[in-house]
Amino acid sequence: MLASQMRGLVKEHLDSYNYFISTGIKKIVRVNNEIRSNVDRGIYLKFLDVKIGEPSIVLDGVFEKINPQFCRLSNMTYAAPIEAHIEYVTETGGQKQLCEKKDVIIGRMPIMLRSRYCVLYGKDETELAKLGECPLDPGGYFVVKGNEKVIMIQEQLSNNRIIIEVDKKGNLVASVTSLGATLRSKTVIMMEKEKIYLHLNRFQNKVPIMVVMKAMGIESDQEVVQMIGRDPRYSALLLPSIEECASFGVKTQRQALEFLEKKVKKPQFVSAQSEKEDKALKVLQDIFIAHVPMHGSSFRAKCIYAAVMMRRMLEAFLNKAAVDDKDYVGNKRFELSGQLLSTLFEHIIKDTISFGLERALSTGNWCIKRFRIDRKGVTQVLARLSYIQALGFLTKIQPQFEKSRKVSGPRALQPSQWGMLCPCDTPEGESCGLVKNLALMTHVTTDEEEGPLVSLCYCLGVEDLELLSGEELHSPNSFLVIFNGLILGKHRRPQHFASALRRLRRSGKIGEFVSIFVNEKQCCVYIASDGGRVCRPLVIADKGVSRIKHHHMKELLDGVRTFDDFLREGLIEYLDVNEENNALVKYDKLGAGQNATVAVMSYTGYDIEDAIVMNKSSLDRGFGRCIVMKKKSAIMQRYENNASERILPPTREGYAAERMQALDDDGIAAPGQIIRQDDFLVNKSTPKITKGPITSGVIPDSEYRPTPFKLSGLAGDNSVIDRVALFADKNSNMCINFIIRQTRRPEVGDKFSSRHGQKGVCGTIVQQEDFVFSERGICPDLIMNPHGFPSRMTVGKMIELLGGKAGVSCGRYHYGSAFGEPSGHADKVEDISETLVKHGFSYSGKDFLYSAKKHDIEKLPSIFPLVSFQLVLVFHGERLQEVLDKMHARGFGPRAILTRQPTEGKARNGGLRVGEMERDCLIAYGASNLIYERLMISSDPFQVCRSCGLLGYYNHKLKAGICSACKNGENISTMKLPYACKLLFQELQSMNIVPRLKLSDV
Amino acid sequence: MEHGSYQNPSASTFSITEEDHTLANSLRLVLNKDPRVSFCGYSIPHPSEARVNVRVQTTGDPAGEVLKDGCQNLINMCEHVRKTFDDAVDKFKNSKATDSMDDSQ
Amino acid sequence: MPKLPDHLELKRTRVSCKLDAPNDTESILYSGAYASMDVDNSSLESFFKDFKVVVNRITEDEIEFDMIGIDAALANAFRRILISEVPTMAIEKVFIEKNTSVVQDEVLAHRLGLVPLRVDPRLFSYKSEKDEPNEKNTIVFGLHARCEQKEPRRSVKSEELSWLPKGSMFLLEIENKASSSTTAPKTYTNFKSSQDELPELSDNPIHPKYPDITLARIGPGQEIELEAHAVKGVGKEHAKWSPVATAWYRMLPEVVLLQDIINEEAEKLVQKCPANVFDIEDTPTGKKATAPRPRSCTLCRECIRGEGWDKYVALRRKKDHFIFTVESTGALSPEVLFTEAVKILEDKCERIITELS
Repeated sequence: MLASQMRGLVKEHLDSYNYFISTGIKKIVRVNNEIRSNVDRGIYLKFLDVKIGEPSIVLDGVFEKINPQFCRLSNMTYAAPIEAHIEYVTETGGQKQLCEKKDVIIGRMPIMLRSRYCVLYGKDETELAKLGECPLDPGGYFVVKGNEKVIMIQEQLSNNRIIIEVDKKGNLVASVTSLGATLRSKTVIMMEKEKIYLHLNRFQNKVPIMVVMKAMGIESDQEVVQMIGRDPRYSALLLPSIEECASFGVKTQRQALEFLEKKVKKPQFVSAQSEKEDKALKVLQDIFIAHVPMHGSSFRAKCIYAAVMMRRMLEAFLNKAAVDDKDYVGNKRFELSGQLLSTLFEHIIKDTISFGLERALSTGNWCIKRFRIDRKGVTQVLARLSYIQALGFLTKIQPQFEKSRKVSGPRALQPSQWGMLCPCDTPEGESCGLVKNLALMTHVTTDEEEGPLVSLCYCLGVEDLELLSGEELHSPNSFLVIFNGLILGKHRRPQHFASALRRLRRSGKIGEFVSIFVNEKQCCVYIASDGGRVCRPLVIADKGVSRIKHHHMKELLDGVRTFDDFLREGLIEYLDVNEENNALVKYDKLGAGQNATVAVMSYTGYDIEDAIVMNKSSLDRGFGRCIVMKKKSAIMQRYENNASERILPPTREGYAAERMQALDDDGIAAPGQIIRQDDFLVNKSTPKITKGPITSGVIPDSEYRPTPFKLSGLAGDNSVIDRVALFADKNSNMCINFIIRQTRRPEVGDKFSSRHGQKGVCGTIVQQEDFVFSERGICPDLIMNPHGFPSRMTVGKMIELLGGKAGVSCGRYHYGSAFGEPSGHADKVEDISETLVKHGFSYSGKDFLYSAKKHDIEKLPSIFPLVSFQLVLVFHGERLQEVLDKMHARGFGPRAILTRQPTEGKARNGGLRVGEMERDCLIAYGASNLIYERLMISSDPFQVCRSCGLLGYYNHKLKAGICSACKNGENISTMKLPYACKLLFQELQSMNIVPRLKLSDV
Repeated sequence: MEHGSYQNPSASTFSITEEDHTLANSLRLVLNKDPRVSFCGYSIPHPSEARVNVRVQTTGDPAGEVLKDGCQNLINMCEHVRKTFDDAVDKFKNSKATDSMDDSQ
Repeated sequence: MPKLPDHLELKRTRVSCKLDAPNDTESILYSGAYASMDVDNSSLESFFKDFKVVVNRITEDEIEFDMIGIDAALANAFRRILISEVPTMAIEKVFIEKNTSVVQDEVLAHRLGLVPLRVDPRLFSYKSEKDEPNEKNTIVFGLHARCEQKEPRRSVKSEELSWLPKGSMFLLEIENKASSSTTAPKTYTNFKSSQDELPELSDNPIHPKYPDITLARIGPGQEIELEAHAVKGVGKEHAKWSPVATAWYRMLPEVVLLQDIINEEAEKLVQKCPANVFDIEDTPTGKKATAPRPRSCTLCRECIRGEGWDKYVALRRKKDHFIFTVESTGALSPEVLFTEAVKILEDKCERIITELS
């Protein structure tokens, strides 16, 4: 509860991680605690306990504590050692001996920032500042190899839950994805041509369900019918299946198993010892509804589960409304960092733990064969353009589907997302509606201990399944109790049972996130305590009164009846609205932009298409400046012969001195130095011989060649070295990190945006004396084109324009809402207008502006007052992109090896494509010879055989072209072809297609 | 400064570098007051080039001379403005001084 | 002499401000514009005869005066020159010896550049890129601020910038060690004489105009040591050289009551105006509205808002009457700035004349 008092914005991440480290990891180790020798089964290693130590690193044998900022600067992973308490057997001279050892480090676990195991946990503002952390930073991410990585929340269909749906062929299907202790399987029961079949991927094709039931020991058809329910409609629907089963002649369990034996898929690699007989039984035991445990060899629980699946399906057959919605949020589970890490950890526990975790986090590839998980892009680098953006990253939810699918269902806004997922925050384009964001108040649950809850249920009067006959199962007025997808038993007074549980929850006796839901239609009580459910805080209306079906709004929101499936149950915790607001106030502290005086008018014509005109004097005075930081790192490589690179002091005179200006006497560039492109950052030299032993002890200077580390890839000429960090990487090579800083002022082409998404590039920068000014002498900082409004319909911006102006004139914050709000806190447009008038402005916010220069020569008009629009203050935040980062051109440069075409992209100094339209331009201009020259004349010469039409080669010895197909050089012509064209021919040849060139004179 | 056509001295375009609306518009004002001028206008061909083109067409006199006279007139006007301004400031300061003297008495 | 008909005269001399937009904003410059009516539009003589200046207010930093009988082009030229072409001194180069504060070097330098300096720029000459900094073209300031280990965080204010009349104190890296023994050590400037020997500066030391501008904040153990070189420049180059906070004008407002407004209507009108332009006068026929303070009209157009009100009230601006305001940043007094601006326009003309002949 204390944690919820301090609910941060990324609590769900922290909670799930904390759970994993404190509980999950121990469980995993307990399950996989033994490693036995394959040679001698008596020799083993056993983990008794495991815990996570303090974040630290061992460097050259020295134990050193680390903090996140240190890791960011030195490209390290912020991780803590996993200390295990182990027990093992040693053999000395045939004598086996049991040993025990404590605090053995078995690997390193990356630590989530601000989690309970992080050094930042519970620190106050000054302490955080000392550690180089921003007090407002939410945490919830990892530092891996110096990068900030976020594990995205993964959306999944929930496991162990029956889902009724209609498949592509229109057949009704009940499916369960079971997540057992060791494996994952999918069980599908489907109705095809009125008969019911089971689909399991271990069977070659569908098998009749009645046969399966018989194979599980229910030989009597009557018992099956009883289990499903004695409603005659169900029996009628079952009849065809029963008849089919009879027609196969399957009557006993033995016959059924024999029947199924034939259907089992043959294992791909037939191993000798696989028992031929029991394959079908094994499949039914282990794979079929894998999450339902077997009690000895009794299939009873599985039978009942299968019966319930069938019952649900038949119900849906009779009543179409009972079909489940896959997109329903209640049927979804969100996997958070903790869960993802724990599955990964379980997979690699017997492998290289530190390396595996680090690699998965830094690449984002989650590959776990056992659970058939192979996901890419699970982690992403935390983007830090603005505070809000960083927060947004931590609440982003990755979809289960791939983005390319053209489906509308999962993309649509679901009513059940209300209050859980943000209805507006989703990206544009292909992933629209698939990538979602958690709502502000949403919490995602973590797993909760099941055992106590199960026994509690029995205490509260749940009748054990084992003791029930099939007949009793569905007797009227008794409800099945389903706990995390497992059928516990039944209860005769479900409402009473539910309210008792709820009372326990509200008094804090059981976990606050346990949900209890009575489904009257299905006659079931669902209890859920598993992780990954989304929930949100709600307020209890009437304490303890369970009649919360009708009546007022709060009860409605309490959740039970409104959404017809089970919803996370009502009140979870009281979250003070003010508390939540405290979290919000912080947005103000870290503004993402500046206020600007804006004139909405057309000016100079350099403002078409949303471009903005900026005032040079404002820029001179510091408007819109930003600081860009880039990291460059150099490594002093050490080679196998123990020779290593070295740093030389700079030369201060002569030709080379100019490039070494920034260097200190130690040969490393000093902080505060101004540095340009290609200047030396480190005056490094590399030994020429890097293999084999060194003959003499010291390598002479002549055996080094200079390999200076230069500044590259940073446009602009005002870069300054901000910080320099020296550290050792994990191979104990010396590394030098430079943080390079640029202070940039806005220039033509930089992109700016206000809130409301009104973005535009800077079209021109105008001197202040040419800018408009108002009667009061106010000169705007920028001019925005009014044509940006009608089509965008950003009414909010218009209100902000007015509110901003009123705000500055009366010196009070204005609250932007169009609706006034019942509380009366918001400023309506009318009120804003009144304020404006009071301060001598027009009610509409329009001012008269004086033109500062003149235009038009034809009519010899004015210099004078121009029509004006609004002169207002508006929050013009966020510089989005800057030309300096985008600008790119090249004359010549690198090419791709395979195609010999110029590389792509600015980062690789790539070429710019002259595409179809550019070609059209050249032709239209009359420069078609340029195309001819570029495409043909400048191409590579190739030898073409006139007789066979294939490409030959040029033999330098004979100084003649030779055709390798005709084995002679008689009919060779030289022709110029683009290299890519030759490559195409060769690729075609490799596919058994012969491209022949036929040459003729033009 | 560049000069436009030499064929017809009564109509010329003067291209003045390192100047902008400040001078050009003032010149346009004074030249338009000159009865010898039939047309006068100016343009700035490109905002990133510090250059202004002033077009002067006269009823017959050489445009260059008229422009020179215009400049001279502008100087005279400026001098007059300065003198008037200084007088007004002096007057204001004196009256302020006497006011405060009156106050102190 | 014939006169223009009233409606044309109104168009010629007034801007009429309607609710939606101002009309007749252009000024008719051409002398022969009304030749067909035998009216001389404008002449130099009338300017010399009619031009008037009335000063309303002078303070240390600000002047407001009326210019009457002048065209917009000229008024605007003065305004433009004031903003962008009257020179001042401002810090252009900063040599940072030490800066351990959180403020980045370039941000600190930018802030220093914007500090207004109280010094007459006419005493100095421009320094071109090639010129060596000397006492004629450069003013040097030193700044050394430190926050001791146990002290609380503090601000570095502009008053800590101290004028170094003898020039830079930082030694240039010695290129030639032999010569250093005989001559004075070389610094970043080459002053032949101390600036405080100049009669204008000897009892009027150079310092920032305001002592309380925050330059940076320094915490315990942090230190800033630098030298700032101020040179002469104009606002066109960078706003820091602009001698004015701003200079602007507005045309004289004219509020005309087109009809008699009486009783409730009159009271309504008085109520409507936030700038208190209107008054009520008691006449024998009842209360009547008057507009005794048109100058305070801010053009909020409240008085003509609403159906039919534009028939009662007309808001106009006089085209040849400017209320000019100059706000100095402190290098020169505002009235001097204005005369300097006028002189610069004269110099421009001078240049054209010499280039033409």
